[in-house]
Amino acid sequence: MNRRIALKHVGLIAAGLVLTPYGCNIESEVIYSNLPMLKKTEQQTIGYLSNIILPEDVINFPTMESRQEFVLTMVNDCYGKSKIKRFSKGFEMISSELKDIKLEKIPLNEQISFVEKSYLLKNSSSFFIETLKKYSLLHFESSENYMIDYLNFEFIPGRYLGSVSI
Amino acid sequence: MIKNKYDAIVVGAGMSGGWASKEFCEQGFKTLLLERGPNVVHLKDYPTTNMQPWEFKHRGRLTSKDMEENPIASRCYAFREDAKHFFVKDKEHKYGQTKPFDWIRGYQVGGKSIMWARQVQRWSKYDFEGPERDGFAVEWPINYNDLNDWYTYVEKFVGVSGNKDGLDTLPDGDFLKPWDTNIVEEYFTKIIKKNYNDRHVIYGRCAHLTENKPIFLKQGRGLCMGRNICQRGCPYGGYFNVNSTLIPWAMKTGNLDLKPNSVVHSILYDESKQKATGVRVIDSKTKESKDYFANVIFITASTLNTNLILLNSKSNRFPNGFGNDNDLLGKYIAFHNYRGTISAQYEGFPDFTTKGKKPTSHYIPRFRNVHKQETNFLRGYAAGFGATPLRETIRNGLGEDLKKQLLNTHETGVWNVGSHMMGETIPKITNQVTLDSEKVDQWGIPQLNIDVDYDENDEKMLKDFFDEFSEMYSKAGFINIKTNDNNRIPGNDIHEMGGVRMGKDPKTSLLNRWNQLHNCKNVYVTDGACMTSTSTQNPSLTFMAISARAANHAIQELKKSNL
Repeated sequence: MNRRIALKHVGLIAAGLVLTPYGCNIESEVIYSNLPMLKKTEQQTIGYLSNIILPEDVINFPTMESRQEFVLTMVNDCYGKSKIKRFSKGFEMISSELKDIKLEKIPLNEQISFVEKSYLLKNSSSFFIETLKKYSLLHFESSENYMIDYLNFEFIPGRYLGSVSI
Repeated sequence: MIKNKYDAIVVGAGMSGGWASKEFCEQGFKTLLLERGPNVVHLKDYPTTNMQPWEFKHRGRLTSKDMEENPIASRCYAFREDAKHFFVKDKEHKYGQTKPFDWIRGYQVGGKSIMWARQVQRWSKYDFEGPERDGFAVEWPINYNDLNDWYTYVEKFVGVSGNKDGLDTLPDGDFLKPWDTNIVEEYFTKIIKKNYNDRHVIYGRCAHLTENKPIFLKQGRGLCMGRNICQRGCPYGGYFNVNSTLIPWAMKTGNLDLKPNSVVHSILYDESKQKATGVRVIDSKTKESKDYFANVIFITASTLNTNLILLNSKSNRFPNGFGNDNDLLGKYIAFHNYRGTISAQYEGFPDFTTKGKKPTSHYIPRFRNVHKQETNFLRGYAAGFGATPLRETIRNGLGEDLKKQLLNTHETGVWNVGSHMMGETIPKITNQVTLDSEKVDQWGIPQLNIDVDYDENDEKMLKDFFDEFSEMYSKAGFINIKTNDNNRIPGNDIHEMGGVRMGKDPKTSLLNRWNQLHNCKNVYVTDGACMTSTSTQNPSLTFMAISARAANHAIQELKKSNL
């Protein structure tokens, strides 16, 4: 990744965090062709839930795109019709639960409990949470710093050593 | 002077066509190389080659659209976000399947050599002797000695990394130094040597540059950097593909006329001369038809497309397809049985790991039925062997707990090991390709129907692989041994061969020992279509050696005005 772009990304987000009230998402509205019903606020809810599942760390593990953008892109592009339907139904179920709860206003441990409870239901809502977790993990684990610092990824190793003592 | 006239026409700019073109051009013959797909210029046309994994929008995954539109191609291991642009899209190039057959194709200059697996092993005398000894197909008209020098000739140009193993079942070649062997590969090699007289675990010979030599510098290629993303095209030219070697080499002579986007419709035949005179070509974009002429024609369009072109080349002389007097054209198609895999773990060497990457693994040459028939199935299988340190990443829980676990990813000291079989299938008359009588492609050429399947011999061989490798793995002390029939569809091995087989007798084969059609000597077929049987080895090296040999035969014949 171009470090300049990454730093710019970090800078913009940091500045945004200072200027934006807690819990307010700065993502602009994107129309996802296979998820056309999703409004900006709903996209933000999905982003928020993804961050409860696995907190985004833009300082230590910057990525090309935000978690929200990545998760929604993957669902939109990589899920077929039946999975999109299940995902959407799961989101509806979660959304109706969230009508009476202001997620960002409750303590973090309660936010996590809410997600855990939804996951354990073993219906579309658990599929929905499972999807957010799957793509949040992929987003984090494929970030440049994680791959290099934790998975020992080398793009151009130029050698193979077969017997290295630990 | 006749318009559009060349000394030689080569149909198909993959490995076989690339070699034929290089040989003709180097020796001063004006050569037309026709390719149905677009040009792919080395370095310039590798759009993803320098992309990091995190730069891919879908992190290498296919989209649902990719999967829906390409149910066949998407089953190929290399059809992923980084290289899918090099594969034929199912929707655009349809074919019939009497039984399921995955026809994986690469329509572009370079063909599948851009995305191939780069494993190169010579055939042995036992492989060429197979059909005659075991009574299937027909006797090969050539043997190992006919190809030995040509293998060397090709290896020197291509660059093959390997060890001199001294095995008569897998003859040594002209090798560059190998990549390092890891500690578990080394251990398994020793265990198998100790327990079996007939089995050998060796370094998998691969078409990667591990040493600088003047010939590679002349080609403009550098050493392999072990990136293991070869399917994108290599900015160093570290592995062999046609685009970085044969095409620019032939171009430099000034004798090559490369015409991409040229779909060959058929071969033209002159009854009075009893010779092929050229080919009819349809421009893939404008759909205009044009004829090109030459003294000699090489059909190297990839196995099944070569069959298609010959079947579609009908004339008064050849009403059933070009050279098809015996009605065997399109028949006796075979492939490799890749259905069996085995995986396990090894707890030895917990204090060791590996660093970096290498573009190959280990290889176990065929050990079944080599010297005599000894099982309830014909022929045998080779297999790969790989060992990698097992990494553990726990992904339970949510929030900061989950993140902490991810940051605690670590190697466990345990090794994952695995093998996959590469079984020889027996060519049969019922495994065949034909032209559809109604359906045509967008250029008006009949669609190909493929009718190819496994048989009982393949099932027995699969069971034997499971039994023998389970035993070998047990002897090595591997644990959690699991065998798996992946039910891979024929064709998915991407080693389809035959249909225009070589043989001694024009009544039972299409090509003679020089790859000339028995009944039209100025037409040569040197790609996978010419193969009489398949053996177990990855076939590309043999296709290249056969092509270079046949091209040099044609050159001698042209010089003598025999063609």
